[in-house]
Amino acid sequence: MGIGYVVGVIGGAILAHAAYATIQYRAVLKITEEEFTRPPMDVMMELLLGLALCMWAGLAVPAKFLSVVPHSDENRIVSLPANLDFMIFNHRGRALPSDPDLKLKT
Amino acid sequence: MAAAGGVSSDDVPILQAENLTSNVKSIYYSRTFLSIIGGVVAGIWGFTGLMGFVFYFLIMMVASIGLLAKSKFSVQTYFDSWNRILIEGVFGGLMSFVLFWSYPLMMI
Repeated sequence: MGIGYVVGVIGGAILAHAAYATIQYRAVLKITEEEFTRPPMDVMMELLLGLALCMWAGLAVPAKFLSVVPHSDENRIVSLPANLDFMIFNHRGRALPSDPDLKLKT
Repeated sequence: MAAAGGVSSDDVPILQAENLTSNVKSIYYSRTFLSIIGGVVAGIWGFTGLMGFVFYFLIMMVASIGLLAKSKFSVQTYFDSWNRILIEGVFGGLMSFVLFWSYPLMMI
């Protein structure tokens, strides 16, 4: 599996750790009977870090973009057949003058 | 080289359809995953009400920028229109976001 998966799993683990820390923080707040507005600063840093890692993984892991331009080099609609079944050599091209220096682009 | 039966540039251009489908699916997976992660973060952070939706659209804008970077800023090579990369999947991901946003809010 690629590096993207590893980064995604690490990001998920960081988020889970942040969630656990927030639960504990909330329990402490319940004891001191204060309002819960937001998690503590280090948990927020952890959340942002986990978010950044997961964002990167979410963009890098799904399949790479493939070109949709029809006439580009990697999208050749016609390609030369590679097997001998379709290759015939006994045709009228024999009568044409041949240039031995011509190269075929495959 | 031109394939037999190529169209002139006035008509709708032919595109590699299976590559386009694959690219659109890839965007959809990215946006869905990021909606879920954004929902979990919004829930843990304690956003309630409108702030959560603002956070969601912020995440989607960052995702759009990331997708533009992934397509190396030449959208025409990989998609047939700008709408695909900017709008597609945003409202589908909103449902996933709200679902995963509500779980941490309940539990934390």
